Amino acid sequence: MIHFDNVTKVYQNQNRPALDHVSVDVDKGEFVFLVGPSGSGKSTFLRLVLKEERPNSGAIHVAGKDLARLTNFKVPHLRRRIGCVFQDFRLLPNKNVYENVAFALEVIGKPRRFIRKVVPEVIELVGLEGKAHRMPDELSGGEQQRVAMARAFVNRPMILLADEPTGNIDPATSIGIMKVLDRINRTGTTVLMATHDAAIVDSMRKRVVELEDGKIVRDQSRGVYGQAY
Amino acid sequence: MRANFIFSEVWIGLRRNLTMTIAVIVTVAVGMALLGVGLMINSQVTSMTGYWTDKVELSVYLCKKDSAFESCKDKGAISQEQKNALQATIKEMPEVESVEFEDAAKALENFKISENNRTLAAIVKVEDMPESFRVKLRDPDKASAIIESIEGQAGVSNIINERDLLENYFGFMNRLQYMALGVAILMVGAATLLIGNTVRLSAYNRRRETGIMRLVGASNVYIQLPFVLEGVIAGLIGGVFAAVLLITTKVLLFEGIQSYMAVPLGWDTVAGVITLTMAVGVIICILASFITLRRYLRV
Repeated sequence: MIHFDNVTKVYQNQNRPALDHVSVDVDKGEFVFLVGPSGSGKSTFLRLVLKEERPNSGAIHVAGKDLARLTNFKVPHLRRRIGCVFQDFRLLPNKNVYENVAFALEVIGKPRRFIRKVVPEVIELVGLEGKAHRMPDELSGGEQQRVAMARAFVNRPMILLADEPTGNIDPATSIGIMKVLDRINRTGTTVLMATHDAAIVDSMRKRVVELEDGKIVRDQSRGVYGQAY
Repeated sequence: MRANFIFSEVWIGLRRNLTMTIAVIVTVAVGMALLGVGLMINSQVTSMTGYWTDKVELSVYLCKKDSAFESCKDKGAISQEQKNALQATIKEMPEVESVEFEDAAKALENFKISENNRTLAAIVKVEDMPESFRVKLRDPDKASAIIESIEGQAGVSNIINERDLLENYFGFMNRLQYMALGVAILMVGAATLLIGNTVRLSAYNRRRETGIMRLVGASNVYIQLPFVLEGVIAGLIGGVFAAVLLITTKVLLFEGIQSYMAVPLGWDTVAGVITLTMAVGVIICILASFITLRRYLRV
């Protein structure tokens, strides 16, 4: 599903590569944690998957497509198959929960009848039933992140990228967020989550890929965050 | 669905940037109106030049008794033989199409028709009017050579090329046209910058929305179209105001001029000019929007 082959990325005006000859394979339906300290290259990895950045060398395949050959014109179609969740939620403050989720479908031109049908289903899936008409500022951080996940998942993407989704949320609420991610993963969606949260990684017992200074230092199935190798 | 969504976005964008939108509309309206006035003057001058070129004649005035002209001094009135000889000479020139003799009575008749000053028209008598040959040329551009060759002939008091009289008027119209076009170019430049700025503000105001649109895979057209349409709508409204200004100009200014100049500026020309200025306005808006979007809305 995601295939990195010897990928190197150096940002302009920087000597040290953000990613240094990275090779990873993520299969369909996998749940992978991407861990490592700040600046280790986690966000760069996610941006490369979205083709927001281009690698300096190496090949990237996402959902069966060679990103180097993907024209700019086709990039939006790639992004429709990838859902994204961020630390800062990125909701539209002037739209309510339903409208925020529906927005993701409206802007890719889905018919209204389809939107009316699927949006309530997804809102229920993330556990926000009955809150569809709340505004984002009336919701807790955990609830806002659930809205963001509903928006990322509403178009049934093949891959869900989560960049520190629990970074702004207390540990108790984070468990609920992880349950939603797990539920999404069980529908067959590949989940790739970058995180600092050791407790969460340890409790989930999923595959862990650890980056340090742009290099992969560990790739372990059913792994934990740090100490045990 | 799609159209609905895009138009609601456009409406929000225009409302949020109301002051800038008004500035764009006014600039486009004034710029396009001036461009249109320039084009209308141009068309008027062209049609009038064509009209008058056919009619322009040389007036070869003949000496009378006690004529004040240098060439007639102390010679008295032109004799009948001289007249006949002169007419024959002129007629034999290859550039001359026809020659007509206008006697004093006819000259007075024409004078009374064209002279607006009634008192003057009333006191002028037949004896005051000069006799003349009206010379029609095959090619009005070669007038100067003919004037030269007739000028020295006996009995000729002076020669007036009617085109010289018109040229003053055409010169004035041309200067007016260039002034209107010059200011129009400045206004178009200002409009382009203003539209660019408006789109930039709009893109900044909606950076959250466009960020999410990119993320969920909205196509570039979908992301950019609302911004471009904002420019187009402002341009169109400006164009409508310009059309109103142009129609006003036609009614107030050109209809006035026409009472002197005989060649009317038709409504079909006005319609053509309005269509052209609107198209120019909208195209400028689209280009300015696209160029700005490429810089401020990375897709």
